[in-house]
Amino acid sequence: MSLKRITKELNDLGRDPPTSCSAGPVGDDIYHWQASIMGPPDSPYAGGVFFLSIHFPTDYPFKPPKIAFTTKIYHPNINANGNICLDILKDQWSPALTISKVLLSICSLLTDANPDDPLVPEIAHIYKTDRGKYEATAREWTKKYAV
Amino acid sequence: MEIDGNTLIFIIIILFLFFSSPGGDGVSSQYEFNQLQRLRNQWSTEYNEFQEMNYDSNFKNITGLKLAFQDIVDDPGVNATYPLPSKDYSHWSQDQKYLLLPNDVISHVKDHVWGTRNRESVDIYPPNITSTLLGHLELVNNNKYPRLPMPVEKFYDPPTEFSDVVPPAGDRYLDDDKPSYGEIHNVTFEKGEISVQVTHLDKVYNRFGSGERTYFNSQTDKWKLLNLRLDFSDKAEHEKHSLLTDAVYDVKNGRILAMTQSAKFHSLFAFPHYMNLQEDKENKKDFDSLKKLINEYWNASNFVDTLTMGNLQDWYDNAVYKCEYVAFFQLEPWNQYTPDQLKMIDEELNWPLGRPANLSLVPPVAFKSGLLYSPDCGLELKFGDVEGKRYEIQMRSIRTHLLFGIGLFVAQIYLLLCQMHHTNTPSSVSKISFYSFSMINLVDGSLATLYFIAASVLPELYLPLVTSSFTCFILASIFETRYLILVYASQFNERNVGILTLLRRNNESERENAPETGNTVIPDEASISGTLYGRFFFTLLSFTLLTLSSTSWPRKVRMVFEYITIFVLNSYWLPQIFRNAIKGTLPRRSRVRNEVLGVQRQNKMPLLWKFIIGTTIIRTLPVVYVFTYSSNVFRHHRDVRFVVILCLYLLFQIAILYSQDILGSRWFLPKLSIPEGYSYHKPMSAQELMEHGSSTNYTVDCAICMSEVPVYVEDVPETHKIDLQTYMTTPCGHIFHTNCLENWMSYKLQCPVCRSPLPPL
Repeated sequence: MSLKRITKELNDLGRDPPTSCSAGPVGDDIYHWQASIMGPPDSPYAGGVFFLSIHFPTDYPFKPPKIAFTTKIYHPNINANGNICLDILKDQWSPALTISKVLLSICSLLTDANPDDPLVPEIAHIYKTDRGKYEATAREWTKKYAV
Repeated sequence: MEIDGNTLIFIIIILFLFFSSPGGDGVSSQYEFNQLQRLRNQWSTEYNEFQEMNYDSNFKNITGLKLAFQDIVDDPGVNATYPLPSKDYSHWSQDQKYLLLPNDVISHVKDHVWGTRNRESVDIYPPNITSTLLGHLELVNNNKYPRLPMPVEKFYDPPTEFSDVVPPAGDRYLDDDKPSYGEIHNVTFEKGEISVQVTHLDKVYNRFGSGERTYFNSQTDKWKLLNLRLDFSDKAEHEKHSLLTDAVYDVKNGRILAMTQSAKFHSLFAFPHYMNLQEDKENKKDFDSLKKLINEYWNASNFVDTLTMGNLQDWYDNAVYKCEYVAFFQLEPWNQYTPDQLKMIDEELNWPLGRPANLSLVPPVAFKSGLLYSPDCGLELKFGDVEGKRYEIQMRSIRTHLLFGIGLFVAQIYLLLCQMHHTNTPSSVSKISFYSFSMINLVDGSLATLYFIAASVLPELYLPLVTSSFTCFILASIFETRYLILVYASQFNERNVGILTLLRRNNESERENAPETGNTVIPDEASISGTLYGRFFFTLLSFTLLTLSSTSWPRKVRMVFEYITIFVLNSYWLPQIFRNAIKGTLPRRSRVRNEVLGVQRQNKMPLLWKFIIGTTIIRTLPVVYVFTYSSNVFRHHRDVRFVVILCLYLLFQIAILYSQDILGSRWFLPKLSIPEGYSYHKPMSAQELMEHGSSTNYTVDCAICMSEVPVYVEDVPETHKIDLQTYMTTPCGHIFHTNCLENWMSYKLQCPVCRSPLPPL
């Protein structure tokens, strides 16, 4: 079941690739993918390319895939290990979601962070109080790690 | 290893505490040292006086024995001082002039308790009478005789000032008006129950030595030294008395004399005189040989030197809170045996080798009659037949029962395995009631714990108890909990779904107030088993503690608790009945028909009949045994009516389960309350299908597996060969493969596409 569905998703990605992201398996293991996201142009991450690792559980699509950033990124909902705080990757998962939809959600998370449910409270605090400083640091990190 | 300053200080403190803790005699201050010194002096002096005593002399300055009953009759205000001016210390006779007992009591003992020696036919008494005897007790009177004053030496008192070093001298008379807590002095009930626990004291352990023991009795054919524990209370157990006494058993005549020992009564020295109440020419000889026994015990136990603060405090407490008793018992003879046979039975019980002794015929140890008299409280109590099995025989019978119990556990494991095999799919497991199995699991778990605790208390039964405990624990924590985890996981999607929704399986009418099912995290099996094991052990421990503490409650409360608990724990099929009604199975006839037609769904009852009947029998047998067999090993009272009611109750539960099997599980619910449930399998119209983005060949993409679902369309004849069972349409109009959606529904009852709630299957 999971294998069929993952293959299908891979084919769909190849046939109709989304504009700002790409994804595909690493080596022979179809359950382990790598994905990349271009920093959205209207965000401090513009110009950067961010890599993510995707691990599918064996009971995919009934359980959500495990997705984490491998590129360092300064964001209130993404911590130093790359873990992402996103509800659809946890309790709001639905089997109708696909990897491309999830990657798009992550893209929009980069544009609009959610500081009210932060994973890194320090960044969320700066985001809320001193937006300019947050954007400057994010831009600096992007330049340093993602260009 | 480096040792820094803090560690060093810590080690020094520990060493200081270690070395400054009291030694073997429990002395921790100068005051206590002096107290113990005074106690030792007191006993040594009295022992020396005892050495000078012979059959024709009176007690002199021995604690508790300074006065005789006649003294208090002559002068009610007399003080127990030595020597009394008018008292005769050089003669002895068995009457109230010399004894603590009034003449009425003495003659009662002579005539009714200790029969006169019968020289023609010699009675034979068992040499070893270790046992626990039970019987009824009767109060003769509690205010007829004046109370004999028995003072306590003042050195027993705890220090009043921290700086006190020397204990006060003199003695203190205990005041009846002074309230004392704990034990109740007086016996106020008319009739009650008594239990006598008899153990033999053949050897003494060297308290300060390496635990070696000394056999001291050189006249085992004549005398035996016993320890008795006497517990008596009224029927309702509002008033409980508990005494620990030393006793001497006259093996030739089956007589037992027991006397309590405390700070106000040093009864050890009174045994030779009090054992010889009968007029007999052998009295003098008996006196001397009993005196020899006391001396042997004194020397072997190193009595004075091994006294500790513990003894001192125990004696003080007993003196303050309890009455002193002198008790006389007459043993029932075992004349059916010769002395050799008795010896063989005894050896066979101690070292079973298969000697030709028919142990099942060994009669109980029985006290034919008995009398308890308290000189300082003026109480007289008597009892008739008090009996109990020999300890070793009792243990053997418990062992047999335990083995039978293990058999029951194994049978239960087998039945459970059959049941697990029967429900091997998630949908059939979800029809099992979680609560039914929780109740069964709780009982087995508590049994395992209780067995385990019992194993540490009864070393003789360690092996069978631990085996039982282990079997029971395997049953409870491996098989049953494993099954519970399966059941729990299969029903997890029903969280936050109301019972009515479950019952109706139709929430189209209640969509607006449908409960929010969105926020539950899908747990994996590891976290479920973690939660369940946690809950299992918590309930288990609380229930076991409750049960253990309930044994000390008053009889009435205890019985109510016991009956209610047994009733509640035996309603284990009720949740299953409820569950069946919710899941709704068809009547047996339609199920058989469906099976013939090849429809797989809903064609079996969740529980095997073998499992239901077997489990009920296994669980009811012990209760029936305990409540109906009057000489059961737990000494439980007999109550046939309760057992009959309990059995009828269980039969009633089984009857309902059976009727659910035959008539369908919802036969007792009115038809109106269960409207037609939502059907996931229905044909679509072509127009509807187009709205859902169908392609031209009347298929939709399943959002779960992303492959095509062929749909049965009413208007298009070529689609009519498609089986309606292969796809499902949600109330919100989304179409999925049956397998895909059912799989998802075992995680969450929510539409994958639009997140609206789904009615359960």
